[in-house]
Amino acid sequence: MQQLLNGVFIGSIYALFAIGFTLVFGILDRLNLAHPSVFAVSAFVGIELVAEGGLSVWVTLPILLVVGAVLGLVIERVAFRPLKNRPDAHFAGLISSIALAGMFIALLQWRYGPDTRRFPAGSFPETPIQFAGVSVTVLQVSILLISIALMVGLTWLVARSRLGRGMRAIAENPTAARVLGVNVDRVTAVTFAISSALGAVAGALYAMNVNSAQLGMGAAIELKGLAVIIVGGMGSLPGALIGGLALGLAEVFAVQYIGSSWRDLIAFGLLFLILLVRPQGLFGARKVREV
Amino acid sequence: MLTDATLTFVALGAIFAYSFYAVLVAGQLSLGQAGFASLAAFTAASLTPKPSEIGEIPALLLAIVIGMAVGSAAAVVLGLPTMHLRGVFLAIATLAFAEAVRILILNQEWTGGAQGMSVPKVLTPGIAWVVLALVAYWFARMGRSRYGRALEAIREDELAARAMGIDVGRHRLMAFVTAGAVAGLYGVLWAYYVRLIAPEDFGFTAAIDGLVTAVVGGSTMFVGPLLGSGFQTLIPEIQRALGVEAGWIRPFVASALLLVIILFLPGGLASLVRRRVRLPKKHSPTGERALRTRVHPGRGEVVASLEGLSKEYGGVHAVEKVDLELRSGEVVGLIGPNGAGKTTLVNMISGLLHPTSGHATVLGTKVGRVPVHRVAQAGVSRTFQHSKLFNRLSALENVLVGGHLVSRPTFLRRLLWLPSARRDELAALDHAARCLERVGLTDLASSRASSLSYGDQRRLEIARALASDPSLLILDEPAAGMNHVEANRLSDLIGSLAADGLTILLIEHNVGMVLSTCDRIVVLNFGKVIASGTPDEVAANPTVIEAYLGSAEAESRPTDRTEGSHA
Repeated sequence: MQQLLNGVFIGSIYALFAIGFTLVFGILDRLNLAHPSVFAVSAFVGIELVAEGGLSVWVTLPILLVVGAVLGLVIERVAFRPLKNRPDAHFAGLISSIALAGMFIALLQWRYGPDTRRFPAGSFPETPIQFAGVSVTVLQVSILLISIALMVGLTWLVARSRLGRGMRAIAENPTAARVLGVNVDRVTAVTFAISSALGAVAGALYAMNVNSAQLGMGAAIELKGLAVIIVGGMGSLPGALIGGLALGLAEVFAVQYIGSSWRDLIAFGLLFLILLVRPQGLFGARKVREV
Repeated sequence: MLTDATLTFVALGAIFAYSFYAVLVAGQLSLGQAGFASLAAFTAASLTPKPSEIGEIPALLLAIVIGMAVGSAAAVVLGLPTMHLRGVFLAIATLAFAEAVRILILNQEWTGGAQGMSVPKVLTPGIAWVVLALVAYWFARMGRSRYGRALEAIREDELAARAMGIDVGRHRLMAFVTAGAVAGLYGVLWAYYVRLIAPEDFGFTAAIDGLVTAVVGGSTMFVGPLLGSGFQTLIPEIQRALGVEAGWIRPFVASALLLVIILFLPGGLASLVRRRVRLPKKHSPTGERALRTRVHPGRGEVVASLEGLSKEYGGVHAVEKVDLELRSGEVVGLIGPNGAGKTTLVNMISGLLHPTSGHATVLGTKVGRVPVHRVAQAGVSRTFQHSKLFNRLSALENVLVGGHLVSRPTFLRRLLWLPSARRDELAALDHAARCLERVGLTDLASSRASSLSYGDQRRLEIARALASDPSLLILDEPAAGMNHVEANRLSDLIGSLAADGLTILLIEHNVGMVLSTCDRIVVLNFGKVIASGTPDEVAANPTVIEAYLGSAEAESRPTDRTEGSHA
């Protein structure tokens, strides 16, 4: 039971990270490899706001949401928009986002140095709550609630709002969407902003959960994020949620039963299997090929 | 700045980048090369006797052989189940493989786990550059071979490549195995240079570095990986020489330059090198002899026979119980309003779509049971309703790919500079030039397909389809977008092809052209054949007039505006 909860906590962070990843892929058909760097930037900035600025962690989260959104706009403007009409936009977008991520991480290193950084002691409540024989902290519960709230909010946005309708129209056919009066460039930019804002909050929550931030933390979660969105189905929001939770649980139980050194093999084994038997993922729709 | 170590790392980086180039050239994005290199490095290093026992060079050669064998074997094992994946899906599946390999090796006793394995240093800059030269030579000779062109065609448009008779699955797997062998080679060279190999040497970062190097250099020209590696290795060195020491500036500048290249040099650094466009000088009399010849069915023999052919999409009958027979030398027109099922029907005849029910035998093959390239091999060639040209190739290269089935494989002979390979290439080139001449595109032979005007693209498609020396040629709306002078010329061309004995199935909306060109016309509406016969019979058929112009009453009241019932 305790393990189950731990799996759910870490899984909800994976899900939050992956949902931003998959949002851009599902709507724009581009894999944004700068997403993990936003995750890392947000963790470092969050720690600075708390440690140097003396802000409460609860105030920093909305600030980081904005920081993430701004980074998302930068990523879209610099790494993706210039490429949109190129025949090799797929490859080129991967490379340009990797390059931009490299610049972000280099800037982090300039500002904060190469060492691991932590939140100052007492930044967040760590009192354990005993409940039905399991112990959870307020922080863990908050992580879960914040993740779920953001994901529910995003799902509502995509399914119900005018902006979401624009997003879904672009996912179907960008040219038709433009002809019908959707401001494709603006909706694309906003999609990136939302995606990165979620990635930023995920980064801050992750740093709180393990109470540390490293320059390489984005790269470490990048592979897991890819695994989650493949397993859940590229572009599927509920898929990313279920995939994230499943990965969190699988990891926790793998550590318990087969040892930590084989933990990551489970994720990749699962990912590989899904790609072979059901390439569209658990919740993805198979795209019909046009002749 | 150019120390021995730098030179060696440029060569190693380039070899690794070539393993990415090997698949990028065929449009595949794989990150599994890191895993191949890792398996190869650890296996070769543990199986090869020590250089002190058998000498340095023999040890290195033996290790290379083992490493390349392991790399290609791993590529076959990974490739067979993953070759149906495309784009980022393939990239992620292969990345998962590489990570699984890393974790596996990390947890093995014989590899030394996280500590790694120590390997004697044998590789010198000289050897590294000799090996690099061999690898670069391989890819340079591949470029202008039939095999190399087939890979490029697959990259540009997989479906069209299939329709040209290219076995896409086999070619993709071959490219993947080449990547595995080159990655294995890199793994071994790396192991015998750095003294200590660890699983982390072949992790995610390494895979991304290899990909970035190949793309920055340019993945459509063989010099790309070399340029990319030079760039990636020398930028930090130049910064160090300039006295830039702060830890963050170097990665920042390197990333910024990478961004600039990818944004402003779409073809990578190699696009700074001009791509030489080769044109045939003059017609050589030996030409056709070097090509494979096909046996065409004799005049009047049955080329295709369809019986009760149907295609259903979720209850909608796109094509319903069509019976049709095509005889050799006929020009048959297929007309009907939009949505009548014309394109669906020819997609079934050419093997792109499988019928829901009914039988079709085309040139002796049961279509629907065999892959598209088999149907093409049997002698069916086609153009597409929406141009599916190989956009980044020149017009001439497009037609050369069209001649895939009638030209001979030249790659291995080109590696050895055999004169017969040159002869075969010239013959293929001649043949392609003749096909271009036939549609009147000789002057545009060296233009990129994507830069041609719409009408010229349609004609290029016809030339490409002709190049395979087909028995049955299917033209799907070839005159769309042509003015009537061009359409008349096209009509003459079709007539002259029929005179050569070709069977032609022509889909066209330009009814005037169909009436004047075809021997026989079949009219489809709502998936069914509603009329067939000579042009005169069809033109006078009331059902056809109704389908095209609306109801008969509408015609009887000429003052009304005629509403076409274009379903």
